[in-house]
Parts: sequence; C-alpha cells; structure tokens
Amino acid sequence: MIEIKNLSFAYGKNQIFDDFSAVIGSNSATLLGGPNGSGKTTLLQLMGGVHKPDSGSIVINGHDIASLKSKEQAQLRSIAPQRRIFELAFTVEEIFAIIRPKQRTTRAGDIFEALHLYELFSSKITELSLGQQQRVSVGLALIQNAEYYLFDEPFSAQDSLYTQKLLDVITSVSKETGIMVISHNTGHIAQYFDENIYLS
Amino acid sequence: MKKIALYFFVSTLALVLFALSLRTGIVQIHTSLWHLLRHHSGVDATTVWQIRFPRAIGALIIGAALGVAGVIAQGIFRNPLAEPTLIGLSSGATLGTIAVIASGAAAYGSRLNAEAAICFALIAALLVQLLAPHKGYGFLLTGIAISAILTAMAGLLISISPKPGIQSLSFWNFGSLALLNNRTVQIIAPFIEVGFISAFFISRRLDAYSLGESSSHYIGINPKRLRLLAYISMAFLIGASVSAVGSIAFLGLLVPHIVRLLIGPSHRPMLSFSALIGAALLLLADFLARTLFAPHEIPLGLITSLIGAPALIILLRTKKSQWVVHD
Repeated sequence: MIEIKNLSFAYGKNQIFDDFSAVIGSNSATLLGGPNGSGKTTLLQLMGGVHKPDSGSIVINGHDIASLKSKEQAQLRSIAPQRRIFELAFTVEEIFAIIRPKQRTTRAGDIFEALHLYELFSSKITELSLGQQQRVSVGLALIQNAEYYLFDEPFSAQDSLYTQKLLDVITSVSKETGIMVISHNTGHIAQYFDENIYLS
Repeated sequence: MKKIALYFFVSTLALVLFALSLRTGIVQIHTSLWHLLRHHSGVDATTVWQIRFPRAIGALIIGAALGVAGVIAQGIFRNPLAEPTLIGLSSGATLGTIAVIASGAAAYGSRLNAEAAICFALIAALLVQLLAPHKGYGFLLTGIAISAILTAMAGLLISISPKPGIQSLSFWNFGSLALLNNRTVQIIAPFIEVGFISAFFISRRLDAYSLGESSSHYIGINPKRLRLLAYISMAFLIGASVSAVGSIAFLGLLVPHIVRLLIGPSHRPMLSFSALIGAALLLLADFLARTLFAPHEIPLGLITSLIGAPALIILLRTKKSQWVVHD
C-alpha cells in the first residue's frame, strides 16, 4: 500500500498540505477528487518524488520514496502526468520504445489493444490530436512494470468512448495492482472506483 | 532500407571529400594517392601525409565531434536552438586553451592544452547550470551571457599576452584547421572518442528526457545525472576540438536538424548520422576555405556560417518540421 503519513508541504507561503494522511490500497482503484487548487497534482508530484515533503513521508510498500533513486521509484510506481512534452516528431511506436523490454509489464499488448494504440503506432506523435496524445501518454505509464499506477486527469481530453475503455482497463489492471486516478470531475466515474478520497 | 542507402551515400560523400582534400592544394601532386598510400617518401608523400592528411583526418574527426555535440546539446536542453557554442562550452574551451598557452604552461596542440580546454568547457557548463534560473529560456540566456564573458576574457588574454604562437583572435573565434599536424590529431582523437562513447551511452535516455524532466524521472531516469553526463560528453567533444582548431560556427546547430529530417528524432541513430554528416560538411568547408581564394585561406567559420546559415533557413522553411514547439 501507499501510506501518506502526516504530510506537510508548501509552495513558498502557500501551504498546500498540513499534516495530511491517507492510504491507497493495493489491488484496488482509488479516485482522488477535489476542486482546482486543492493540491491534487501536487500530491501526485510528491508521490512521484518530484517534490520532497516539508515534513511527513510517503511510503510505498514499506519504502520511503524520498530515499529512493529514480530507477527504484520507477519500479514501484508508474505515473502519467497531466501533460507530457511532445515536441519531437517521434512515431508513437518510438515513444513506447522508451520503456525498454525489461521495464515493461506483460500486460503491454493487452493495453495497446484495449486503448486502440496499435493503430497509432506509425503516426507521428506531434501530428495527433490532444486526446490521442493523452491516450499515448496514459498508455506509456500503463506499460511500465510497477506496483502502483497514478494518473493525473487521464480523461480530460477523452470522448465518452475512450473514457469508458480507459475505465475498463483501470478496473481490470486494479485487480493485480494499485491504481489512483486524479480527477476534478468525479461524479460520473466514482462508481468505477473502490475508494474515494476528496481533497478540500 | 532508406537508412542504409542514406548511410552509404553520406559515407561515400565523406570518402570522396577526404580523397579530394588529400589531392588538392597549392602544391601540385604528381603521384596518384593510391601510389602514395604504399610509398611514404618523396616530396609528394610529405605534402600528403605530413600536411594534408592530418588536416583531412582532423576535419573528419572534429566535424563528427561537432555534429554529435549538437545532437547532445539540443537533446539535453530540449531546444532546437541549442548548440555547444551558445551555452558557454566553446568559449570556456577557448579560454582554457588560451590561458595555458598565454601562461606558458603548454604549447598549442599539446595534451595539456587539450585537457585545459576540456576542463574549462566543463566548468563553463556547470557555471551556467549553477547560475541559470530553472524556468523557460533562462538556461540558454544565461549561457549566452556566460559565453560572452568568457570570450571577452579570452580576447583580453590574447591582446595582452606577448607569447608567440598564441594565434589571433580570429583564429580562435572563426576556427581554422591550418595548424593541425599529425601529433595534435593523435592527441585530441582519444578525447573525442571518450566524448563519442559517453554520447552513445546517454543517447537513449535523451528520448525519454524529451518528454519533460519530471516525465523522465517518472520513467526511472535521474535528470540531474543525465545532464551532468551530457555536459561531460560535450566538454570532451568541444574542448578537444576547440583546443586544436578554435570554435567553428554553425555545424553543431545545423547538423542535428539535417539528420532529424532524414531519419527522425531518435537520439541513438541520430548520433552516427550526425557524425558522418558533420565530418562530410567540415571536410567540404575546409576544402572550400583552402581552395576558393587560393593561395589565400579564408577563416573556416566564415565558410560554415555562409553555407550553414542559409541551409538552416531553407531546412526550416521547406520541410515538415521535426520539432513542434507549442506557444
């Protein structure tokens, strides 16, 4: 499980978290909701090791992530950030090749199929729509072998068809791993998740 | 298939230019290169092997180094404008070279000279890293500022140093292969080799890094270490080159753009292509610098700018962009 213990964090004088604690379970899907500016993305960045907590800790399966190297963190958790930079004209296949074979989960093929990613393989990432780029970005996080998958607003550019497909993937993958999804619009998708955390 | 054909074409081109460089010059060669390959005595052999060969092989190695350094620079700064000249590496190397020559610690073309250039190039890059704000164009702008300071300091040293053999400001700022000899080439080649190997070593991670710094960290890459390795690689490539031939404009910027159009943006395959194209272009530029107004020799940087800059503009305008910057 991921234990967020007595977490405090501030951007300058702007206190985002003050003694915040929560638990995200394995083999389950957790939805993290809350209004804009409530610290959802900051929490993900703290869990991703981009920021260090001012006090408190984030512990994944017994490891305090602040003390782990990038590579060790990546074996524990995989993250799809809100946006990635797609500026170079890689093909989608080249983008997925960034995750080396030994880093990949055995589910990769199923995920490519379920999210209709194979059909994008020969396209240039820079020529895709925002929604397609987001699907590639989420797919990239999903094929990385990890024990937890954390997604920041993965549905924001998706139509109802792909929102549903992604929800199905999340439901199925969460049987074997832990998943946390950040969304500011939780109403219509909450039923697909085992746990709900609301930041205010 | 397309890649293999391209590879073959560029290699052949480089080879032809190489042979042409050996054949052509103020002194007419009356013996065939084939014959000289087996017979190393006589006036023709001395001209070819002692004077033209180090220059041609130097162009090959240094051109390759500049091309590869350009790929690493644009990859690690995630910016199509980046090149080693722009971020202090070249001017750091120039200052290092001139400092050891002016102080009398080492002569032009010596090992210590190359080592000083490499160290100063690395220090310049680390200084920029230390001083730059971590947002937006802060890094490149800080690089330009540091670069200007280091160039001015190098110019100052040249102006006040009475040492003979320090060369002129124009030699260091525009670059010239005129002084290359077999010994200097032998000294810089291993350093450049270290640069190539470290570039190859980090090239794959640069693909992931292009998705953003935190994104690459999420995938398991340590961005700080990657940046440091990239600086070391570039310092070896640029430092060794500059210590022997000064800074040569534009190749480091132009070559990666050509290569991306030909084979796409994946960094590892880009490296070998950039080395080949950089080598061919520098051979061509040096050939023109020597022959256009013979017996006068034109500073090399003038040729690379005069050819490179328009080529870059044409590339950027006519072909589909390989680097989409959102604004």
